Amino acid sequence: MLIVKNLVKKFKTTLAVNDLSFTVNPGNIFGLLGPNGAGKTTTIRAILNIIKPTSGEIIFNNNPITDEYYNIIGYLPEERGLYKRSKVIDVLIYFASLKNLTKSEALDRADFWLNRLKISEYRDKKIEQLSKGNQQKVQLIAAILHNPQLLILDEPFTGFDPINQQEVKNLILSFLSEGKTIILSTHQMELAEKLCDEILLLNYGKAVSSGKLTDIKKNFGGNNIRLGFNGDHSFLNNFPDIIKFDHYKNYTDIQLKEEVLPSEFLKKIIEKTEVNHFSIIEPTLNKIFIDLIKENVEQE
Amino acid sequence: MKKILAVARWEYIEKVKTKAFIISLIITPLIIISFSILPSLLFRDEMPKTEIIGIIDTSAIYFEELEDEFKEYTLPDGNPNYILINMAFQNKNYQQLLEIANKNIQKNLIEGCLIIHQTETDSIYGEFRATSIGNFKSVKRFEDALSAIKLKKKLTQEGIDTKIIEYFQDRVNVEQLKVEESGKVSSKDFLTTFFVSIIFILLLMMMVVYSGQMLVRSMIEEKSSRLIEMLVSSSTPDELLTGKIIGLSLLGLTQIFIWVVIGLSLVAGALIPPSAFDNVLPMLIYFLLGFLFYSSLFVGIGSTVNTEQEAQQITTYLSLTLMLPVVIAMPAIQNPDFLMTKIFSYIPLTTPTVMLLRLNVESVSSLEIILTISILIVSIIVVTKVSAKIFRIGILAYGTRPSIKEIIEWIKE
Repeated sequence: MLIVKNLVKKFKTTLAVNDLSFTVNPGNIFGLLGPNGAGKTTTIRAILNIIKPTSGEIIFNNNPITDEYYNIIGYLPEERGLYKRSKVIDVLIYFASLKNLTKSEALDRADFWLNRLKISEYRDKKIEQLSKGNQQKVQLIAAILHNPQLLILDEPFTGFDPINQQEVKNLILSFLSEGKTIILSTHQMELAEKLCDEILLLNYGKAVSSGKLTDIKKNFGGNNIRLGFNGDHSFLNNFPDIIKFDHYKNYTDIQLKEEVLPSEFLKKIIEKTEVNHFSIIEPTLNKIFIDLIKENVEQE
Repeated sequence: MKKILAVARWEYIEKVKTKAFIISLIITPLIIISFSILPSLLFRDEMPKTEIIGIIDTSAIYFEELEDEFKEYTLPDGNPNYILINMAFQNKNYQQLLEIANKNIQKNLIEGCLIIHQTETDSIYGEFRATSIGNFKSVKRFEDALSAIKLKKKLTQEGIDTKIIEYFQDRVNVEQLKVEESGKVSSKDFLTTFFVSIIFILLLMMMVVYSGQMLVRSMIEEKSSRLIEMLVSSSTPDELLTGKIIGLSLLGLTQIFIWVVIGLSLVAGALIPPSAFDNVLPMLIYFLLGFLFYSSLFVGIGSTVNTEQEAQQITTYLSLTLMLPVVIAMPAIQNPDFLMTKIFSYIPLTTPTVMLLRLNVESVSSLEIILTISILIVSIIVVTKVSAKIFRIGILAYGTRPSIKEIIEWIKE
């Protein structure tokens, strides 16, 4: 379990992270979300022990983060790159040796992972001879070779084609069943929505929202429906049950008052127009994200 | 410690394998050595060829004696160095003689032609004609010989004893010897010693520039690909920095080792006299310390740059400071107490190279050697400490290059 308590990081004039607290439970994927410059990287660097926080505490499995934790942390940085002119296997062994693995251990594990990700034929090739996707696989292996207990993945899916994305996703899920603690930093909301159990939305170094994804969605005004009908939409203005609606070309998203049951609303609307689509929708994380950030801006 | 070794090993092995390193390893010293030795070889050796020189002696009194004098000069194989031909033919006038001489010179039948006039005041006027005017050695010999003959004639005329004349004619040779600190006297060839220092300085410079550039380039690669983030999430910046410096030093040692082998084989080949390596121990110390000093400097500065161009600029500036001793070499040789050389000996940036030069051209006191080496060691420690601070922040700072002010703030942090 990773606990971050009142983390503050101040650079000369800017407050990159402002009093951030959260807990990541093992067996869960924790989503660290936010726009560029929100403080995700700074937070990750503090957890990785790369930078010293101005104040605050980071505790992993009941101990403060120290140099020894380097060996149980795995990190996949957002921007990818490896020693281009070196051999795949050499690079993997180097990274493993920095995590205190012996050479034979490193060799065994590297071969295992190269096989599992179906790139074992590139074992003795130079990195620059590999396709971009395969280079990223090598980097992913470098991040997990030492079987880390805490895995921090920064945008792990970018640059992979759909098939490989699926493969990486399965890999991450398999780590979960092993009880690893995983932090996923991304601004791909759909992905976070699919994978994360808990999220932390960051903006300007502050937590905008945090907690279980289902709770966040519930709290965010959950009574939404999607309606498809023929003809003019102006009649919707006359419904007292509606808080607001967004009209698109083929359908209209409607937010109903909390106490209104969607099925009751459907009965009423059928009398007014010919309905060809009706569904109950949850707000997407993307929408929550954008709305929350807008709200935040307005408050400031 | 394990991680330091892992970093050092990686830095060493991955760089030793590169083509650039292998090329720098062998080609560089060969180029430098051939350029440094070539002029001294050309300078010293007798041309192993007999020169045929025509003489037009208008006074008709000097030819025979000149011929006698020039019999002294022989080639290493025993053949005469010179064959003098009397070209003052009886039935020709002066103008015709000149034309004949010119023709022979143009056809390369004779190396050159010496024309001797005796003026009314008894002094001699000589003129040497040849296709090139670079034959200083022969001209000097003619001058010496003619002066000697003239003096001998005058003295004989005045009725001086031939013994006294011979006494006068006995030429004095001055040989240059260098007195070492230990009291040992060596007859080192000045040119060779000078070139040896220059070779060492050039080697140090090339080594610093090559490995410095390699280091900075790999750091730029690590930074631009964000590899550095994976590295610092695996080991402390200090471990990384130390590992890098050790790896780079091992690389330097490999270079030195191979260069020493090349050097020794040259000694064996008698291209460089072994006496040129008398100071080899202190020279190696300055060489290694200089290399370490610049390596630690490069690691710190290298962590602040983001592009290849910036790196090039910095390495250029640093290598210029290494070239300084070549600039001050001449005044330093002519006047070992030259204040500037003393000052530069105590500035860590120039200590290694200036001392490499001074060791070979003058006797440097042990006190000075100990003092400069101590200063150098202390500076290496200080620079490593400061570099570590810059490195810690610099490797994670992307975007624009930090200003000097910012870097100073990092150091204070």
